[in-house]
Amino acid sequence: MAKKIGVYVCTGCGIGDALDIDKVTKVAEKEYKCPVVRTHAHLCGKEGVELIKKDLEGEEGVNAVIVAGCSGRVNTDVFNFGPSVMVERVNLREHVVWCHPANDEDTDMIAEDNMRMGIVKVQKSELPEPYIEEGIVKTILVVGGGLVGLTAALEAAAAGYKVVLIEKEASLGGWVAKQYKQVALRPPYDELRENDIQDIIKQVEDNPNITVYTSAKSEGISGGPGIFEVTINQNGNTVKEKVGAIVLATGAKPYDATKLAHLGFGRFQDVVTKDQFEEMASSGKITRPSDGKEVQSVTFIQCAGSRDPEHLPYCSAECCVGSLRQALYVKEQNPDATAVIIYKDLRAAGQYEFLYKKAQSEGVVFIKGEVVGVNEAGGQVSVEAEDVVRGETVQVDSDLVVLATGMVPTTAFGEEELTVEVKEGEEAEAAAAAADTIIRSDILNLQYRQGPELPSLKYGFPDSHFICFPYESRRTGIYPAGTVRAPMDVRAAIDDAAGAALKAIQCVELTAKGAAVHPRALDFSFPEFNLSRCTQCKRCTEECPFGAINEDEKTYPLPHPTRCRRCGTCMGACPERIISFKNYSVGMIGSMLKNIEVPEEFEEKPRILVFACENDAIPALDIAGINRLEYNPWIRIIPVRCLGSLNLIWIADAMSNGFDGVMLLGCKHGDDYQCHFVKGSELAEIRLSKISETLDRLRLESERVQMRQVSIMDYDQIPKILDEFAEKLEELGPNPMKDF
Amino acid sequence: MCAFKYNPAASREVYNLESGKYAQQCMQCGLCAVTCPARHLMDYTPRQLFKMLFAGEVDKVLKANTPWLCTSCCLCTVRCPRGIPIIDVMHSLKHYHFEKGTKAPVATLSKVFFDSMMKRGRVFELGMTNAYYMKSGFGAIKDAMKMQDVGMAMMKAKRLPLAPPKKVKGLGDVKKIYDKAVALAKEGH
Ligand code: SF4
Ligand code: SF4
Ligand code: SF4
Ligand code: SF4
Repeated sequence: MAKKIGVYVCTGCGIGDALDIDKVTKVAEKEYKCPVVRTHAHLCGKEGVELIKKDLEGEEGVNAVIVAGCSGRVNTDVFNFGPSVMVERVNLREHVVWCHPANDEDTDMIAEDNMRMGIVKVQKSELPEPYIEEGIVKTILVVGGGLVGLTAALEAAAAGYKVVLIEKEASLGGWVAKQYKQVALRPPYDELRENDIQDIIKQVEDNPNITVYTSAKSEGISGGPGIFEVTINQNGNTVKEKVGAIVLATGAKPYDATKLAHLGFGRFQDVVTKDQFEEMASSGKITRPSDGKEVQSVTFIQCAGSRDPEHLPYCSAECCVGSLRQALYVKEQNPDATAVIIYKDLRAAGQYEFLYKKAQSEGVVFIKGEVVGVNEAGGQVSVEAEDVVRGETVQVDSDLVVLATGMVPTTAFGEEELTVEVKEGEEAEAAAAAADTIIRSDILNLQYRQGPELPSLKYGFPDSHFICFPYESRRTGIYPAGTVRAPMDVRAAIDDAAGAALKAIQCVELTAKGAAVHPRALDFSFPEFNLSRCTQCKRCTEECPFGAINEDEKTYPLPHPTRCRRCGTCMGACPERIISFKNYSVGMIGSMLKNIEVPEEFEEKPRILVFACENDAIPALDIAGINRLEYNPWIRIIPVRCLGSLNLIWIADAMSNGFDGVMLLGCKHGDDYQCHFVKGSELAEIRLSKISETLDRLRLESERVQMRQVSIMDYDQIPKILDEFAEKLEELGPNPMKDF
Repeated sequence: MCAFKYNPAASREVYNLESGKYAQQCMQCGLCAVTCPARHLMDYTPRQLFKMLFAGEVDKVLKANTPWLCTSCCLCTVRCPRGIPIIDVMHSLKHYHFEKGTKAPVATLSKVFFDSMMKRGRVFELGMTNAYYMKSGFGAIKDAMKMQDVGMAMMKAKRLPLAPPKKVKGLGDVKKIYDKAVALAKEGH
């Protein structure tokens, strides 16, 4: 259908007072010959919306709407006219009148350029058609039958979804099933309660929506969200199941205590791990392994192997609460027995404070300090510690010493490998950045080109977007939860299970609609490949952060649209520029920037192009506007899905079109990345290092193109960043290509 | 090995005192220590005292002047994040002290002050001072000699009368109040 563009300029929110609106409407009417151009004083009000609707329904036959006014991040529901009407928002408020002086020629020029870009964008876009895979299933696979797996299964089943649960052991319950008692989940939070895992197991077994496979593991998972095919090996028999999303809940293993000889393990019989102690408590009597006598005194050593650069550098999160619980077992068996806990920090936050108080009032003694030695003395184990409160070395003798060992995720066991062969030459750096570390832990056995398990980030935990979006992994549709994701205690793990189950549900629902999942949920566009021009360079396959692109037999890229997160990193990577979305393409952004008016050199109005990531940089620029922070008027902003979608041709285009400089604003990358698409901003920075060589060759100063990492909280820094860049460009003088 | 040895079991008796159990809940935050107006005179702050209990140093706790210097101002008690009625713990410790017959100078002073008070309803300084030195044993006589100058100076300034003061009016009623309190305590109120 031919596009008929209606342009609606809002003059409310101070826009009409600050801008010469005629100039803005003239751009649409005269320059681009848009058939319908209207202004309204309050477009988001009922009357304003009616005005647009009338043109959509009436004889005007408008089918593409451009709303010029507030940021595209607000009023999205108001300006939504259904799936068949394309809507584009031109920002005149946050990015123009709220951050630039009113009634100023330069401010008007920004508004005009924004209008030009908006119109070109619509001209170059098509309505996306959802990609709906055939035979989508909404069943959820839960891997791991411990507390988290069981809870996730019950949550998903309660929401009406079929669940397949696989557990490698012969029985369900995992680590929690081995516990004597449980911490309270309800007020007053200070009593231990009976372990109710058997009830939970029974609920799972009785639930008609849940199919359980015990003594089973995944031998292979192929496909993608909505169309995963899992090969389950149960006691040697293989079964195939089709599932839509996966919750990874395989938990953690205790840290290997044999490495803790300095704490006495292996040296003295009466030094045991917390799991051995739990077993004794469950069996009915806590005794000394050396002589079988009932214990009269127990010392717990916290952080045994955790928060220790020689062992596990992180806090295992559960052991403080675990030792409070176990110290109460000692008191339960014999109120006159002594229990001492030697700790670095007692991390029993939130409601666990009540349990801590309970342990204290039962007479458990707490020593804050570092253990310096464990020895045997007179038939007892003697622990020496630097007591920081007393300021001296102290000694505690007891019948039994319990090491509160930390947890290691089950994904950490196996051989490590990189997904991408790091090669020599031109692309080496990008390949290295794109490479994921995969540990062959034999849990999921994904049949992905990118390796059999989830990529890991640090310490063997599967990479989840831990700063902003827990559960999100780099393999779409697979959501780690519980102690496999991060060290956590029982209460946090239960919440985690529910969270991941919800994520899995969102995934199957969105995939069934043909829409993207987080962070571009409900985006119906997806990358399309013009393979006739593909040179099989594999840049897209390697750089896609989500493993969405495999290779076919002829080594052409083979996209898996349901795995795709729509970031556009492949589009940015492709040197042949053959990857595009219906409403986002290399050509579209190229045309937008070419339609910005760049004044001649003598006019002394430089132009600076800013590619800003929609996830953090654009909101930050909006907030800068809301706070009326002013910045340089030569700036023109183009939002991009992710800096990863940056194609170097845009920079070349910008320079040859006379822009004096280009700045990229994207998310933080590195180990504690905040990039919503994990690798996007890092890859953009690497690509940028390539262009600086080219710029140098053209005798253009490489400082003309710069990248800055910003987060949404940096809104107050952005004006300074932009102004300083403008100053730098002023020093360099105008782009010599301007007048060509 | 010369390291200090923890002996938590030793303090069990203290925790069984009327308000003793509260001491167990101390988390060593130190708020009481910085709050107490008498802390600079105390051998140990309330926080230190409780830590000593945890370690089993009951003797040291009994000899400490802390409970005796506590003015019952209640400042620490309202600030303690663990809600420990610190004054009550101090009172329990004082009782425990007498129960155990521990000797500590400031406890002795308290006792003679109280006795002097109950006799007349007001304090007879010279009598009280003498009683203090007598009760404190042989070493204290030496200390008393050292204080002679001060005593003489005070006498000259008429601050240390030789004769005891008159009884207050209604001393009988004060005694009744006291006896009633003792009886109530015995009943366990
Ligand atoms: S980057 Fe482009 S040219 Fe290379 S394999 Fe991918 S699609 Fe083909
Ligand atoms: S790079 Fe992004 S847009 Fe491209 S296939 Fe991967 S997830 Fe999809
Ligand atoms: S304020 Fe309370 S909790 Fe803190 S040190 Fe004093 S008694 Fe202990
Ligand atoms: S009540 Fe006693 S211990 Fe507490 S602040 Fe007052 S004087 Fe100090």
